Amino acid sequence: MQTTPATPDTDLQADNLRRAAIDKSVKGPVLFLFTNGAFWLMLSTLLGVLAAIKLVEPEFLGDCQYITYGRLQPAHINALVYGWGIQAALGVMLWIMARRSGQELKGGKSLLITAGVFWNITITFGIIAILMGKSTSIEWLEMPKFVWPVLLACFLCYAWPIARMFGRAFRPEGFMVSTWYILGACFWFPWIFITANVALHCLPGLGAIGAGIDAWYIHAVILLFFVPVGVGAVYYFIPKITGKPIASAQLASAGFWSLAILGGWTGMQKYMGGPLPAWMTSVGACAGVLLLIPVGLVGLNHHLTTLGKHSSVAASPTLRFIFFGALFYPVSGLVLALNSAFWTGANVQFTQSWYAFQVVSLYGFFSMCVFGAIYYIVPRLSGCEWLSVRLIRNHFWFSVYGIGTIVIMSLVAGWQQGVDLNDPDHWDQTFMNHVVNSRPYVVSRAVAWTLISFSNCMFLLHLLLMVAGLGRRSSAPTLLEHDHDDQALPHEAHA
Amino acid sequence: MTNFRTFILGLAASFGLPWLCLIVLPAMQYEQLTPVAYDKDKDGVEGFFPPAPINGQGQLVYIREGCNQCHTQMIRPVQLGLDGWYKGWGQDQEARPTTPARSNVLGDYLGEKYALLGIQRVGPDLANFGFRAPDKAALYQHLYSPRSVHDWSTMPAYTGLFKVQKIQGPVSEHAVKLPKKFAPAPGYEIVPTPEAERLVEYLLSLKKDYPVPGQSAAVAASPAKK
Repeated sequence: MQTTPATPDTDLQADNLRRAAIDKSVKGPVLFLFTNGAFWLMLSTLLGVLAAIKLVEPEFLGDCQYITYGRLQPAHINALVYGWGIQAALGVMLWIMARRSGQELKGGKSLLITAGVFWNITITFGIIAILMGKSTSIEWLEMPKFVWPVLLACFLCYAWPIARMFGRAFRPEGFMVSTWYILGACFWFPWIFITANVALHCLPGLGAIGAGIDAWYIHAVILLFFVPVGVGAVYYFIPKITGKPIASAQLASAGFWSLAILGGWTGMQKYMGGPLPAWMTSVGACAGVLLLIPVGLVGLNHHLTTLGKHSSVAASPTLRFIFFGALFYPVSGLVLALNSAFWTGANVQFTQSWYAFQVVSLYGFFSMCVFGAIYYIVPRLSGCEWLSVRLIRNHFWFSVYGIGTIVIMSLVAGWQQGVDLNDPDHWDQTFMNHVVNSRPYVVSRAVAWTLISFSNCMFLLHLLLMVAGLGRRSSAPTLLEHDHDDQALPHEAHA
Repeated sequence: MTNFRTFILGLAASFGLPWLCLIVLPAMQYEQLTPVAYDKDKDGVEGFFPPAPINGQGQLVYIREGCNQCHTQMIRPVQLGLDGWYKGWGQDQEARPTTPARSNVLGDYLGEKYALLGIQRVGPDLANFGFRAPDKAALYQHLYSPRSVHDWSTMPAYTGLFKVQKIQGPVSEHAVKLPKKFAPAPGYEIVPTPEAERLVEYLLSLKKDYPVPGQSAAVAASPAKK
């Protein structure tokens, strides 16, 4: 694609044919993952609304024991992480890797679909088990013990062909930063997942160290799985759509390796001041703040790459989502640093600011990038274009405002909670101030999740129509604005 | 292909180091940990630390209901938070204790499969709840109807852990006593199920403020209250 062919027409045609063949080879698994992921996302946001309401008004919908906050919140997060997050990530990883390495998926498609089916069935059982009272209360691993080997096997079914493609196409001179990230995610996730599950489910009992391992697991999955997939997608789609190469190879390389080196150290600062040996929480806190380096490097690189191309951000749905996702990356880095540094972390420890970090990194950053990727990938797989500009636009704005509200409100609420908890005047008081003061923030969280659920309804509907092949029959992509004809997108954007 | 190998090696090395140092070695060390004997001369008490285990059966109910979403079990040192100074959050139940409750150490959670340190602190910390807990009847009331205790409470009512039954003969001795507004229909009573009983036993067994062997001799020397 980067080379200038001698005979542009025939070369372009051959290129397009090759791309079409690659797309066709991954169509089944990728669309399956996206559609099921979108269903889980819908469910997760609805559970998020319900959990937020129950946190303010526990009597809402009666005293039914299946929907207390203690069961809804883990169900909400697990649906978001395993139902939507990992599933959608696998779809994006598979497609980008196939395209970037120029390899068709050879065989094993039925195995991939089967793995996807098992993944979804297992998660369904897992989430129902949480609501029925089989939760393990280990954050992000609340689903019962039997779930994890199945999930691991399904994940490996996808990771193997992705790694194979990377290996076959690895060219030392080629600049493939997006595939580094994706291979990294493929490689690290099983390792992290096995470590945490063996430690917490199979070993005889690790007491407080177990709690530390759980906090480490959450950070490692975010930083070494969701972040690489998101950043990989950003690195792939920004140059693809703007037609500009990535601004700096050195920045990209430094950003990748500093993330790889720091990502595994952080996490245990969640229990700073707790029973864990002090060096473990301190190392976590240091790494949490130092992670601002890779975040800054990548952010700078993205900024330099999009510089001067902001009109295509307005026009292309993909780039718009990706652009805002990329903006949320530095934000999530800042929230992590805020939670990690001792002088702020001590105040926001055990408050909603922890939720702010999960939402901003999982939804604000990762999911927005994945939405962008889906808006690009699905038309190429289903052979039709997105139906409605309005649906895309609504999806975008409701998501941006919803996430912005949740993150800002959770951060402010976290600060407020910390101040209330540590107010010396409260030493002999009940938790009344604390509970009453944080109520409005949780109400706003419920409202924001409602907005997001609404946007996800539209997204799911739109996606289902596309997968059913009912999209627009046209050779021109659906763009959000058309008044910039003089700055028409380069041809690559449509390929 | 050598470059591919170098790349994978780089990925493995960069993640393997923290994995080894932060997870594997501490976990192996922890497995060696055993209860420590108190030194009668230095600590002023006899026996082993931690002295009393938590109620494991009740903990299963606590885990099942996801109580750790809103309740922590971890006292932070005073330089990080007010925890140690909160009234009744330590062993010392006096109105104005002279020293703050100590922060928790690894040994406090010895024997627990997974320490429920908590996710958020929406409600009070429960690490030393056993020391300050009211009587069982009050606890049952709090679990059955938190709003009958505090009208601002956002704690769920765990009615599923209780049975409403027709009074046959005398009112059973464990029946939950409720204010009129929250009371069941006349002729009925609310009794805790075995699960609720176990949960309460667990809550009463949460006492993580015993003196640490070889540490805080001042706290250990002062006579234990209650």
